[in-house]
Amino acid sequence: MTAPLAPPAAPPAARSLRTRRNRTGRRPQVRLLFLLPAAVFLGLFGIFPLFQLVRMSLSKVGAATLNGAWQFTGLDNFTAGFASGESTQALYRTGVFVLVVTVFGMVGGLAAAIALRTKGRWSGFLLSLMVFVWALPPVVNGSVWKFLLGDAGLFNTLLQTTGLRQTSVPFLYDQYWALIAVAFVNSFVVIPFNALVFRAALMNIPPETFEAAALDGASRWQEIRHIMLSSVRPTTLVLLVLTIVYGFRSFDFIYVMTYGGPGTATNTLPFLGYLQAFVRYDFGLGAATSVVAVLGVLVLAAVYARSIRREESES
Amino acid sequence: MKQTAGPVTSTIKALLTLMYGVPILWIVLTSFKNPSDVFGSQASFVFRPVTTAYVEAFNGTLLTALRQSVLIATGTTVLTLLVAIPAAYGLARTIGWISSIGLGLLIVLQMMPQTATVIPLFQIFGNWSLLDSTLGVVIADTALLTPFATLLLRPFFRAVPPELEEAGSIDGASVLRTFFSIVLPVARNGVFTVGTLIFLLSWGEFLYAVNFFLSPGSYPLSALLAQQVSAFGINWPGLMALAVLTSVPILIVFTATYRLLRDGLTVGAVK
Repeated sequence: MTAPLAPPAAPPAARSLRTRRNRTGRRPQVRLLFLLPAAVFLGLFGIFPLFQLVRMSLSKVGAATLNGAWQFTGLDNFTAGFASGESTQALYRTGVFVLVVTVFGMVGGLAAAIALRTKGRWSGFLLSLMVFVWALPPVVNGSVWKFLLGDAGLFNTLLQTTGLRQTSVPFLYDQYWALIAVAFVNSFVVIPFNALVFRAALMNIPPETFEAAALDGASRWQEIRHIMLSSVRPTTLVLLVLTIVYGFRSFDFIYVMTYGGPGTATNTLPFLGYLQAFVRYDFGLGAATSVVAVLGVLVLAAVYARSIRREESES
Repeated sequence: MKQTAGPVTSTIKALLTLMYGVPILWIVLTSFKNPSDVFGSQASFVFRPVTTAYVEAFNGTLLTALRQSVLIATGTTVLTLLVAIPAAYGLARTIGWISSIGLGLLIVLQMMPQTATVIPLFQIFGNWSLLDSTLGVVIADTALLTPFATLLLRPFFRAVPPELEEAGSIDGASVLRTFFSIVLPVARNGVFTVGTLIFLLSWGEFLYAVNFFLSPGSYPLSALLAQQVSAFGINWPGLMALAVLTSVPILIVFTATYRLLRDGLTVGAVK
């Protein structure tokens, strides 16, 4: 649920100060010392674990040997993961999962932002309600959706009393439904955040733009297409990467709603790695699966860094 | 600006109200039901409200879990701010390859899947005797949230006019003193916003807690909930009562800081 943000460009004043200092070269950057606590802490508990993860992925590590000597096995764990088809399937499921989260999350977020742009009591209340749901612990949201989507849950009751379905829909027990259902709940939680960011971008449009458009006889749809969509474009790129990352690393709703099941239907790549390590106690295999997931994240991080740099240079 | 709500806008708003209102309503309604009411139809609106679920939920386990949640969330918030505030300030006021690499590493670290870091941390904590301790979970949560906190804090420090600091240094104040007496007070809104977010996120974190605590006796509320919801034969009213009790502190923090959150969250993304 961690939804990170893009660092914006510096105000011009900050820039001029820095270039001035640099040109004269009088002053070494003593403020780099401020980075020290974070560097030490994250070195120990952020970077070092990643080294261990890679080392573990190249070794045979079980529950008994976890804190003993690890036997180096090269790429065995990786080939084993792909040979059994587990990793390939997980990759495919992760793709479907991310796609559903991203499409619902982005479209829903933008639609909500356009609807909530108007001032008024209803909009204000709805926005605070949505942000509250976003701020709730994922276990709470996951629990209630597991309840709502159950055999005798609200959705199935509605479907049956309205006569749309004779039998209950196995939202969380069918191998196709389950993946989509969990992905839907993920996008349900990310929509408020995306709406908030989109809304802030929409609020930045000067009112004169709308007035001019109204004078020209623009329809509401044209307003949305030509004014709103074009003004949120820079935000969209950053938000898109963030939503993809959010969907990719998501595990909490899978953990709460299906625990990877039924069978292996909701084993996305990150969750598969977790299950292999902590349920099957094959830490080497779990580490290898996680390394593949980490590689995916590295690619996304590079795209993200590039997109925010472009946004900083454009402004 | 023409701000009248058209029919499409109203439809979207009605849909969203249902989508986000109904789950909240259902948590609260179900928590006041009798387990036998839920057995027949879970959708019923008419029922005799009982507080059985709450009475049953209130026992020693719940109080221990509540204490653990408070300890973990406040500990993580304090430790994260201690590490992230200087780092964010440092990154806001320096340029060059060190800060570029620092920024890149923070972006990568904040995107790391938590399921990937829990595996090596479990092994490392085993060696350093940090398993089954609240401190271990606090450290792990801090490592998880520091990159996010630093990246979100940095724009707040960049927005502090450097002239203020220059004035301070002309008066002979040291870098540390200008930081504490000038920069930090000006950027306090950012610190509050980020602090609140860290508190909310660490209150809800459960993966580290479930794996690093070796017995459910020391679980925080979120982990307790995660454990109960994945069990067989769920007692839904009991579970929903636990969910309500887990969410009440969130509601309090949220109500107190909503404006700050709403405006602060978007600072980074829209300038």
